[in-house]
Amino acid sequence: MTDVMPDVGPVVDDQPIGIAMHGVSPERRRAGRWLVWLATLGLAAIVLAQILFVSGVTAFGFANWRPIVYAWLVWSVVIAAGQVIVRGERGQRALFILPAVLFTVAMVIFPTLSGFYIAFTDWNLSQLEGRHFNGLDNLRSLFQDAYFWNALGNMVYYVLAVLGQYTIAFGLALLLNADIHGRKFFRVAFLMPFMLSPVAVSWMIGKSIMEFRFGPAAQVARFLGWDSPSFFTTPMIARAAVMAMDGWVSIPFVMVLLLAGLQALPGEVMEAAKVDGASPWQAFWKIVFPLTLPVSVTALILRIIFELKLADIVITVTDGGPGGATDTISSFIFREYRERSNVGYGTMLAQFYFIIIIVFVTLLLSLAARVMKRYS
Amino acid sequence: MTEKTNESLIGGTADRRAVLKGAAGFGAAALAAAGPLATLSMPATARAASSNAQFRADLVKVPGVGKGSPTDADWQKVGEMCLGPTKANVQPGEFKGVELTFMGLNNQNLHNFLFRGFLKPWEAYTGATIKWIDLAQADYNPRLQQAIATKTVDFDIIEMGAPFEGDVCGKGLASPMPDWVKQQIEVDDLVNYLKPPVGTWEGKTYRVNIDGDCHSWNYRTDYFKDAKLAAAWKAEGHTGDWAPPKTWQQVNEITKFLKGKKINGQDAYGYLDPAKGWGGFGFYFLEDRATSYVKVPGDKAWLFDPDNMKPLVNNPGWVRAIQDAIDCLPSEPADQLNADPGTTGFQQFLAGTGSMLSWWGDIGQMANTSDSSVIGTTIGFDINPGSDTLYNRKTGKWETPAGGINFAPNMAYLGWGVYVMARADADPKKSKAAWSAAAHLGGKDISLWTVMYPSGFQAHRNSHFQIDEWVAAGYDKGYISGYLGSLDKSYNHPNSAIEPRIPGIFQYYSVAEDELAKIYAGKATAQQGADAIAAAWEKITDTIGRDTQLKLYRASLGM
Amino acid sequence: MRRAKKSAGRAIIYVLLLFWTVISLFPIYWTVTTSFKVAVDVTQGHMIPWYDYTPKWLGWRSLGLSPDTIFTESTVRSEFLFRFQNSVILSVGAAVLGIAIGSLAAYGLTRFEYKFGPWRNKDISSFFLSQLILPPVVLAMPFLVLYKQVDLFDTRIGLILIYTLSVLPIIIWIMRDQFAAIPHELEQAAFIDGCSVWGAFLRIVLPIALPGMAAAFILSVIICWNEYFFAALLSSTSAKTLPVMVASQTGSQGINWWSMAALSTAAIAPLALIGIFMERYIVKGLTAGAVK
Repeated sequence: MTDVMPDVGPVVDDQPIGIAMHGVSPERRRAGRWLVWLATLGLAAIVLAQILFVSGVTAFGFANWRPIVYAWLVWSVVIAAGQVIVRGERGQRALFILPAVLFTVAMVIFPTLSGFYIAFTDWNLSQLEGRHFNGLDNLRSLFQDAYFWNALGNMVYYVLAVLGQYTIAFGLALLLNADIHGRKFFRVAFLMPFMLSPVAVSWMIGKSIMEFRFGPAAQVARFLGWDSPSFFTTPMIARAAVMAMDGWVSIPFVMVLLLAGLQALPGEVMEAAKVDGASPWQAFWKIVFPLTLPVSVTALILRIIFELKLADIVITVTDGGPGGATDTISSFIFREYRERSNVGYGTMLAQFYFIIIIVFVTLLLSLAARVMKRYS
Repeated sequence: MTEKTNESLIGGTADRRAVLKGAAGFGAAALAAAGPLATLSMPATARAASSNAQFRADLVKVPGVGKGSPTDADWQKVGEMCLGPTKANVQPGEFKGVELTFMGLNNQNLHNFLFRGFLKPWEAYTGATIKWIDLAQADYNPRLQQAIATKTVDFDIIEMGAPFEGDVCGKGLASPMPDWVKQQIEVDDLVNYLKPPVGTWEGKTYRVNIDGDCHSWNYRTDYFKDAKLAAAWKAEGHTGDWAPPKTWQQVNEITKFLKGKKINGQDAYGYLDPAKGWGGFGFYFLEDRATSYVKVPGDKAWLFDPDNMKPLVNNPGWVRAIQDAIDCLPSEPADQLNADPGTTGFQQFLAGTGSMLSWWGDIGQMANTSDSSVIGTTIGFDINPGSDTLYNRKTGKWETPAGGINFAPNMAYLGWGVYVMARADADPKKSKAAWSAAAHLGGKDISLWTVMYPSGFQAHRNSHFQIDEWVAAGYDKGYISGYLGSLDKSYNHPNSAIEPRIPGIFQYYSVAEDELAKIYAGKATAQQGADAIAAAWEKITDTIGRDTQLKLYRASLGM
Repeated sequence: MRRAKKSAGRAIIYVLLLFWTVISLFPIYWTVTTSFKVAVDVTQGHMIPWYDYTPKWLGWRSLGLSPDTIFTESTVRSEFLFRFQNSVILSVGAAVLGIAIGSLAAYGLTRFEYKFGPWRNKDISSFFLSQLILPPVVLAMPFLVLYKQVDLFDTRIGLILIYTLSVLPIIIWIMRDQFAAIPHELEQAAFIDGCSVWGAFLRIVLPIALPGMAAAFILSVIICWNEYFFAALLSSTSAKTLPVMVASQTGSQGINWWSMAALSTAAIAPLALIGIFMERYIVKGLTAGAVK
């Protein structure tokens, strides 16, 4: 991810100019270390006590794990304080980043760990006796699950659709960048779809405007000669309809990025192109496109990452149909959780998908880095 | 607009009924339909004092049939009017300080929307307060399953369907009904099929019935009175008169016939198969077609083999039902593949598309009272079609049913009920408050109102079948006789298909929906798809536990 | 000749602009107008109020927000207002918390050199930003289980924490760009005046970075306001939000288009207003870091 991101300006050297290092006395350092150790021990002790209580070994413990959250908070504060006590000025600097790190770690690590555990169980919420560890069974079913691979195949289409969104967005950005009146109005109007929740959009467009009988989109389609404009019965059209709705919401995002890229182009470059007598078409491909390539790559990668999570629209409008043609991984897993209470298997699907995403995004980033290098 | 068409069309309903029953003439038909019902409701009628009759007449005039959908103000008014039984058992302010949590469905202007209005005056009178958990239909099952599985029941009262009794009552999570509640809600008044074993688990009663469910047949009377269609039907050489179908074979024939025809200047369509999943509820509509093929009189099992829980869904009878749906779909509206049951019932049938539909009773209720209906009373009713051939799972052979046609109405979902959770029992005051709230919602008078207006609930008490009360509320007599008659016949049918109340039943339905979607989209044949459903069901049974499932399955069928 | 060509070109530009304006705004127009229709108007495809149909309050009445119901007691309205309030609290709460810890981290990452074992600034940044690729389904079930354990299920604070997690990468991305653009000389001057690192940050840098923070804040609010997946899964009574209410109207009894439209209108109105009046900030937030 960092590769495509622009550099973040020069990092100040470890020793900021102009500040004298405050000396930290050895006693203070020792006291600080003790404090951190004590807090860590305390946290470990509370967690251990609770584990023993829950597993029935001891009789003393808390009704739920909430106190552990408080203990984690206290521990975090002590760690932060310890940084300042032990390392003085440098500790103060660490204080900037510690809250975010501790927060993210706590919020991601624990669910991920418990997720991996759940993924290897046969947990179904209707069981009378509760979950059992079932080894690689879930993984084996996954490889035979036609629905999963079908949804994964659909994801390829959806990701490719991002290129279409990009093309339209580029066109719109060029329009907005032209010498026009009322640019502010058009900018606000074009940005509007981005503000709306996908759930509401699914309603407004998918269920209402694209309604077979009275929806305006169906009326227009009839007017244009399509006799039975049903948007969600043939696989390709259904997929295209979902893509259109998704595009409606996300094109403004790409457009705004590209517009900013266009506006940052130095005016003299364009002037020079004009003087050379290049046609607008040549000027675009020779000058504008290459110069905005970094923005394009950023926009595309961000959009693809978001596209991989596509769910709300599919869930609300088609529920994956017809015959799985519009299913995404997220909407399929959602059904597995929600309608079949298949927690163990669903979690395995989710974890497996996550690994695919990581590999895919990593490849994408290295590809992007190569493209950027070639052009610069 | 609807008012006018009514008069000309009621005749159609009655005529057909008359023919069916072998009686002659319009009046006789209405009488015939009302006859058995009147007898059924005798005890209730006798009990109802004349003042009560006046009260019920006033009650059902809020806001009046044909005056648009009731609103929050109407619900509160109804709740206020029906506080009588509560006042008899509870002192004013008796539950001060009690806080109850109620979990139910959040369907637009139905279910919890009504309960909130109904219970507002109850809260004011008793002093209790209620917190609400509102769930979408699709969120309902998983939310309930989660609460059960993670042992975090965070509600005191729940609106729940009978299929979940296996999950909830079987695990001891519900509170058995106290006797005073049984008296307050007059349980004897319930229609027969809702009496035990439904609503009970291991001999105890848990459920305050607020609904009765079965799929029944709704059809457009104007279609079957249309002279042009009748002529075309004859001209194309079809056998028999142009009349509503009695069998699924005829349903398919009529649907294919109507494709490409016009009625009142609009495209004509026949039956509507809801082809898109609906959180498991969509599977009921395949069951409608299948039960007539596979529900053998005298054999209660039709979904699983009661000896080993092997699915029956891929036997020739079921496969034939699936094939029927596949054959029928090309003649249905173009967007049918993306139409779930809700879309099919309310955006198509009630809005005037299609002429035949199998649905719960509320289509008939809403056709006349909801803002979203444009078909008014051009609608007739019957029990679901039967079949002229029947597959017997025991012999493995196709048979000709006794009497020529095998009817097997599908008692889909068995209706909603209100249950009090065992966790409320910890505090006697809270327990009484919870039961009082449940009893208020399940009261005899209030239920008359809910079954007449858009509520999500259909007739379920013997006292609901007093046709005069419906007529006084503004319903047309012929119309309502037909409507209630179809429900009554389905409820009391000797070969009705009762669904198994086993844990995770909706998981089975949901996974079947996914496979059906594939079949309807042409990605698998009926047999392949049915085999895939059976394989998936076997897997679910193994995951949940074959032995316990088998035991509960047999128990729920009373075997 | 050339002039004609030029004005033809301009005409095409305006036609295209207007075309896309219609595409962008029509669904909103449709939703708002549908909320004033009744069944017949919907099924007959009427489009223009007062021209081919007479607006009615039916949809808004079902929410208890029509002129004749607004002063009477309405259980539906109080439900709507409760969820509205929750949506406000959750999105503002998460945005504030996210801005607080995200800005600090972003400032640290642009100004100092960190080492966590083998990890350097670049790796720490990647760690934060990589949270962006995490699909909600991966965390959904584990969070449900975990939240039940720590008693955060169906609490506002529980959802605020999750929303904070999901907007944090974006906030750090935006704020890093903001802080990097502020010249270091300003802080150095403050150090010479005797300010500590934190003093310089709070007194000198923060005020300059405020517009950037506003952009990050608004963007976070938008994202949280529209969030459906976690809200549907992790709330039941006390923390439920508007999108869940919108989605849950899809129940068994079909659709009252007018009520649905009224609800959607009410749910998107705050964001539409933000979009109209804060467009500058949204664009600033979206483009942070993308353009050099």
